[in-house]
Amino acid sequence: MKIQEIERVIFEKFPGAPLVRDETGKMGALWSVVVPVSGIRDVAKTFETADFFLETVTALDFQDTLELVYHFNCYEPKSRVVVRMLCGHDQVAPSICDIFRGAGWLEREIHDFFGIRFSGNPDMRPLLLPEDADYHPLRKDFGKVSAYRKREEIYG
Amino acid sequence: MGELYTTPPESEKIYTLNLGPQHPSTHGVLRILLDLDGEYIVKADPVIGYGHRGHEKMGENRLYKQFLPNTSRMDYLSGLLFNHGFVLAVEKLVGIEVPERSKYIRVIASELNRISSHLLWFGTYLLDLGGFTPFLYAFDDREQILDILDSVTGSRLTYSYCRFGGVSRDIDANFIDMTRAFLKRMDARWADYDNLVSENIIFINRTRDVGIIDRELARQYAVTGPNLRACGVAFDVRRIEPYEVYDRFDFEVPTGSRGDALDRYYVRFKEMQQSCRIIEQALDHLPGGPFLAEKVPQKITPPKGEVYLAFESARGLAAYYLVSDGSPSPYRCHIRVPSFGNLNALIDVLPETLVADAISILGSIDVVIPEIDR
Repeated sequence: MKIQEIERVIFEKFPGAPLVRDETGKMGALWSVVVPVSGIRDVAKTFETADFFLETVTALDFQDTLELVYHFNCYEPKSRVVVRMLCGHDQVAPSICDIFRGAGWLEREIHDFFGIRFSGNPDMRPLLLPEDADYHPLRKDFGKVSAYRKREEIYG
Repeated sequence: MGELYTTPPESEKIYTLNLGPQHPSTHGVLRILLDLDGEYIVKADPVIGYGHRGHEKMGENRLYKQFLPNTSRMDYLSGLLFNHGFVLAVEKLVGIEVPERSKYIRVIASELNRISSHLLWFGTYLLDLGGFTPFLYAFDDREQILDILDSVTGSRLTYSYCRFGGVSRDIDANFIDMTRAFLKRMDARWADYDNLVSENIIFINRTRDVGIIDRELARQYAVTGPNLRACGVAFDVRRIEPYEVYDRFDFEVPTGSRGDALDRYYVRFKEMQQSCRIIEQALDHLPGGPFLAEKVPQKITPPKGEVYLAFESARGLAAYYLVSDGSPSPYRCHIRVPSFGNLNALIDVLPETLVADAISILGSIDVVIPEIDR
């Protein structure tokens, strides 16, 4: 499946999803799209069937929301794509560890650092933090923090 | 009597072996809980995080410049490559122009570091497999690189050589002479290594068809670098999305076919030779001019926005994801490390192999644990 086709499929599923093309080259990806929390499994399946791999998953903590950032990439040609989803501080995100097996550890790491729970991931033990850790160090209310901002302050 | 030792009673059939975190062949602080049925592994559960220092949190609380020394302390064996990647990411975020000469210097230093990382892997892997002699050869060669890099960066392992807009010191005629002498020395060395190791029947028997990672498994776990190329996918960031000046050099991306430990060995072995080719070309075309851009502010305050920069570390695709809120320190600093996916794949590779093979597989994957733990 070509990348244009994936774009079409995503737009059919989520009409009006905000899509940003990378014009400055800073994003390091072709485009980035924001999908609802419930839609990430569909998107991940689309990429899985299109022979993509899940390069990395990470999160950002904002005053108003948490943001999960998925980077998908494929071997040939160069076509990295960013998928974002906004997840409330108390919201549970759906796991994609049965679609990409490597996602299991990435989700455990995010749970360590941000306290986001993933439904459907059978193994949610701390990965990098101690077994009894009950804190989430990359949250902006933990330890020394230089700024805690709202999401629109950065994306404008 | 023999069966008393070989067939355990039903109740004790599964035995859990705690491999590491201080076992010499686990390369750092990796612990793997192995469920064993006799000599065979039933289930492998890697336990990591012993080396977690919170580099990402540190990144959020430091100036961009202050984070530079941290970068080489994640993957300490290819510190210069991570250092290089970080300055590239910040330069892209701020929009700093880099002089041509420093681009070439960075490539030369990075490739030297890649060779030194592969040589250390080569030596220690053979040591894991019981061959002591190659270790001495490899460390002798690696010492030459350390001397070369020491002469210009001032450190032997955790280099912090790159600066925003260039490098900290210019290379001189002495550096060029030493590097050329090293390339000449290695030219003669490859045949020695081939004779000593590549054609050694004991080595081949311990690695062929051991720990196969095929394309599908690699894709599922986002395995990158030599481990991915060993199964026949010519995926190299230097070739797919060239950064710095890699698009100007003529080099091959070595691949294997079976994806076993032997192929991973061959791919790394050939990669060292390709790195030598890159260094040679970079030295031949080294431009003059300044080694550090002028007018780079002491305190960098990037505009609001994000940057994602992928680069090829010695172990695969690594990337920096920086989000700036317009202040002098990043709002978020995420590092994608290749060993994370490479080690993750072991969960599916280790079952149904022998414990002795597990050591061989673990060595052939070439993981650096502090890089995963960050």
